[in-house]
Amino acid sequence: MTRDRAQLGMAMFLMSEAVFFFLLVLAFRYFAPLPHLNSRNGWLLTILLLTSALSLWRGWRWVTIALGAAFFIGELFFLGTTFFVLADIHGLHILAGLIALAIVPASALRAMALYWYFFTAVWLVILLVASRA
Amino acid sequence: MTSWLCAIDHKRVGILYMLSALLFFLAGGMEAMVMRAQLAAPNLKLIAPETYNQMFTMHGTTMIFLVAMPVLTGFGVYLVPLMIGANEMALPRLGALSFWLQLLGGVLLYFSFATGAAPDAGWFSYAPLSEKAFSPGAGVDYWALALLMIGSGSVGSAINLIVTIATGRAPGMTMRLVPLFVWMTLVASVMIVFALPALAASLVMLLSDRLFFASFFDPAQGGEPLLWQHYFWIFGHPEVYIVVMPAFGMISEIIPVFSRKPIFGYPFVATSTVAIAFLSYGVWLHHMFAVALGRNFLAVFAAASMLIAVPTGMKIFSWVATMWGGDIRFTTAMLFAVAFLLEFTVGGLSGVAFAAVPVDWQVTDTYFVVAHIHYVLFGGTVFALLAGVHYWFPKMSGRMMDEKLGRWSFWLIVLGFNTAFFVQHFLGLLGMTRRIYSYPDLPWFGALNLISTAGAAILVFGILLFCANIAMSFFFGTPAGDDPWNAWTLEWAASSPPLLQNFAEVPEVRSRRPLWDQKHPEAPDWVVVRSDA
Repeated sequence: MTRDRAQLGMAMFLMSEAVFFFLLVLAFRYFAPLPHLNSRNGWLLTILLLTSALSLWRGWRWVTIALGAAFFIGELFFLGTTFFVLADIHGLHILAGLIALAIVPASALRAMALYWYFFTAVWLVILLVASRA
Repeated sequence: MTSWLCAIDHKRVGILYMLSALLFFLAGGMEAMVMRAQLAAPNLKLIAPETYNQMFTMHGTTMIFLVAMPVLTGFGVYLVPLMIGANEMALPRLGALSFWLQLLGGVLLYFSFATGAAPDAGWFSYAPLSEKAFSPGAGVDYWALALLMIGSGSVGSAINLIVTIATGRAPGMTMRLVPLFVWMTLVASVMIVFALPALAASLVMLLSDRLFFASFFDPAQGGEPLLWQHYFWIFGHPEVYIVVMPAFGMISEIIPVFSRKPIFGYPFVATSTVAIAFLSYGVWLHHMFAVALGRNFLAVFAAASMLIAVPTGMKIFSWVATMWGGDIRFTTAMLFAVAFLLEFTVGGLSGVAFAAVPVDWQVTDTYFVVAHIHYVLFGGTVFALLAGVHYWFPKMSGRMMDEKLGRWSFWLIVLGFNTAFFVQHFLGLLGMTRRIYSYPDLPWFGALNLISTAGAAILVFGILLFCANIAMSFFFGTPAGDDPWNAWTLEWAASSPPLLQNFAEVPEVRSRRPLWDQKHPEAPDWVVVRSDA
């Protein structure tokens, strides 16, 4: 029951986040010049994040945290050269997710998995939009 | 004291919400009185123009984000578990986190006064006025950061209410049987989840422009100031319903009890709420009719805006039909509920007038708008809240509110409110623009403004009397007992005030009036409901 509540709560939260990122991506697409993410670094980061999502699906919490942290550092250093608000906001969510993954009890891992998959998907959308810019 | 600071029990968190909202209500009211004093006569110069801009910005922001939303959340958090037969919110610690985010956001907003740079770009902070070039002070930054915190808190409490209503209902209580206050709190919460992120996105872009040299709203660098208006009102129009839906819910609980009849047309009241929620996402352009948008846009959004009057009107008819032929008891709570019906209808009618584009062009940004929003938000939401406080105070405190003081405050508030705001319709039609610091001595301007200021003073007196009534009744009121109004919903089955565990055992719910069934085993509601179905 507790687990269901946590997952439902997380699902509602992610719906809110979906609207937030949809509107931001829309605004970026039309009004702000996006840097090209379609680079080697961009794809390397993507592979890191996808692997971390896969490991969370397998239930390997600490592998996920390690891969996620590597992604976060990469997002800061490789993309930080061109100022890019959208990636920074995504990065803040990844950081919050890493902290949460490290401290939540095992019963909340499934709710956290929803969070992690969602922000993996958001990253793919950002990559897609940025590649087409 | 510590037990309140660390409270996660839904009743304590709910009361914290209400008390913080009352505090900010008094602050916002003082800001309003400063404005009314400045406007009392033509060419007055009581305060500086810059201060005046800060006053209307802080007044609007305070009343929407620090009063209306928190107090309705407070009622929701307090009442929803009791009404659905639960002992706690689904996510109690999220509830406490949401409250403190909201409160500290409010503190951050008011801290800007101490720095001498309170926000002054209006409660909707239109770009490019809110951009660094035109608002160089830190005021708008405080405003945006505070609203991000407050907004996060609102989303948190909304999620909590949704999960509670989805998973915490007593056995047998289907969604067709929950009290209407719970229904409307649910709809408002879902709207918060989908509308607040639009505000958050706008604020993030505004802060990026102001602090990180982005250019979303700067046309010189490829940005678009209108983007702010679109995004803000995609949030802003649903927001209007977010702060009125739970008030509708309170009215739907109070009118039946004091008319001694079940609500008329429960399914219509519930589903029309959902209809309003959907429509509210498709009408934001009616805040922007004065922007050149093209005739087809105007026609579509004007039609959608008028359409909202249909489900809203259905509710008004349902409430009137509930009273029709009922054995009406005019307690103070019922008086406020009936006044709500009349005043909200006035606000609704001026709203329909606005939906006609030429009317909007004529009166946009005048005092007609100010009159309209106050009839909807004060005449609507605040009157419903006052009804709700008088109705549920006995449950929350265990004591009755004083009826004599209640009646005095009711008549003072009705008189003050209508005197203050009805004349503003005429001021608007005469062409007085809103948000001006001072005005020349044009025909009628001085007289009507003086009447409005006098009304505001009466209103303040009424509100203070109401506060005094709360304080006195809390200490000296007559003990209420568990069910002073002979009501029908489950919160009246708990003790007054409820214990930490609301219900020792929850009865199986078989109708919309579980307490009626308990009191009248010879003629329970569910017999009738079953034979209908």
